[in-house]
Amino acid sequence: MFKAVLYTQWKWTRLPLLILALAAFALPLVSARQMTPDAEYWDAQGLLQSLEALGAFYPLLAATAGLILAAAAWAADHRGRHVYALSLPLPRWHYVLLRLGAAALLLVVPAIAMWLGALIAATVTTLPPGLHAYPTTLALRFALAGFIALTLFFAVSAGTSRTAGYVLGAIGVLVVAQIAVGLFDLKLQILETILYQIYIWPGPLEIFVGRWSLFDV
Amino acid sequence: MSHTVEIRDLYYRAGKNFEIRDLALNVPTGSMYGFLGPNGAGKTTTIRLMLGLLRPRSGRITVLGGEMPRESPRVLSRTGYVPEQPHLYLSLTVDEALRYHSAFYTTWDWKWADELLGSFHLDRTSLLGRLSKGEMGKLEVLLVLAQRPELLVLDEPTDGLDPVVRRDVLTALLEYVSQQNATVFISSHLVHELERICDWVGVMDRGRLVAELPMHSFKSGIKRLRVANAPTPAGDTPFVLLSREPGGSGVETWVVRGWQAPMTQYFEGVGANLRDVVDLDLEEGFVELLRTFRVPRS
Repeated sequence: MFKAVLYTQWKWTRLPLLILALAAFALPLVSARQMTPDAEYWDAQGLLQSLEALGAFYPLLAATAGLILAAAAWAADHRGRHVYALSLPLPRWHYVLLRLGAAALLLVVPAIAMWLGALIAATVTTLPPGLHAYPTTLALRFALAGFIALTLFFAVSAGTSRTAGYVLGAIGVLVVAQIAVGLFDLKLQILETILYQIYIWPGPLEIFVGRWSLFDV
Repeated sequence: MSHTVEIRDLYYRAGKNFEIRDLALNVPTGSMYGFLGPNGAGKTTTIRLMLGLLRPRSGRITVLGGEMPRESPRVLSRTGYVPEQPHLYLSLTVDEALRYHSAFYTTWDWKWADELLGSFHLDRTSLLGRLSKGEMGKLEVLLVLAQRPELLVLDEPTDGLDPVVRRDVLTALLEYVSQQNATVFISSHLVHELERICDWVGVMDRGRLVAELPMHSFKSGIKRLRVANAPTPAGDTPFVLLSREPGGSGVETWVVRGWQAPMTQYFEGVGANLRDVVDLDLEEGFVELLRTFRVPRS
């Protein structure tokens, strides 16, 4: 049963998955190019700073992978108004788990591509003293961030368009509230507080912020 | 008589304008049950409630001995369902659709699926999105038949299909039913089609079941009578008078339900003259039944 579900999702996502895998493979190699030593001397601090600009692409790629796999998991069922899924002889929670499990397994493809790219980059790069390569950690972090993005987008896209409307509406209300607070010159940072709770440890999206780099001290 | 489907006191409401109220329905085991009704009568909603796709607000639904929607996985594993609209994944090929569907049914019969593929002239490599309406209809029927279900629920399965495809589909269905003694619940507004194949009929209109009876009773019980010197009012009739329309030369046309030959005595008793008794076919009976239901007579 899982194999059948996995096959459908593979078929629906194989092209974007290929593009994601290529991007995930290339990103560490592009990072490694930044590590080409300046003719004169190694400046570890300077190199790490130059890598930070590229670091933003890792969580972005993980979020994109999660979004694509989540949307593809439900797209066909949405088109058929979920009639096929609901008429299959298994509990609804089981079907949801099958779809989520298949999407999570497909996420392994770009994660492995990143790991391979990172391994190659780490092998071919000569690092200055004090810096180390972390290919496995980087790939695992990418996989975990991708999975978190997948579960979030999966939950939203599993719902009806009304559910998605509620989510967007809630975000809109927060933005409007923040603008209103600003107009009245109140010292209240609604969005900042919420974002802080979400993105700073132990917030659920903490994994997306901070330094993403193949090379670190 | 055992029933494959039993519905009691069902109440369901969707939005402000549509509800199913006090629905009671019995589908005898082994029967071919035709579910008739005009568009918007609630046929598809009833089917979705029956299969656990929707949850009723109150009432009890039992299918193949299992209470719905609580036992829907067990019941659905023994039920084949062809919905009104094509619901399969259009980016799969015919072969992929078969493999996907078969993975969910332990009773799946590959041998028969292959035979049906041949007799329906379906190409395994064709994308579902490129199939014609007729081919899609045949594929949907193939999928449910190869599951070897005990209950087949077909929601307008031949709607929009050409006569040749319709014949192929119905032949395959009838063959299966004759081999397996399966129960078939078939919804349609193609009255003549149901007349040929069904042995029970249920008529639904505006969220209510108007009639449920064996097909032969339905067909033989509704008659058109030509009556001269008809009494006004009709008084206490031994049959149900569905409608009466005046004609020329003082002869009225009556449409009645529950007619039996000895009832001619009624006309003698009221001084009328029964000129003619005409059998109505299912479609005419169906139309008259709905007309009576919609305009209740005092």
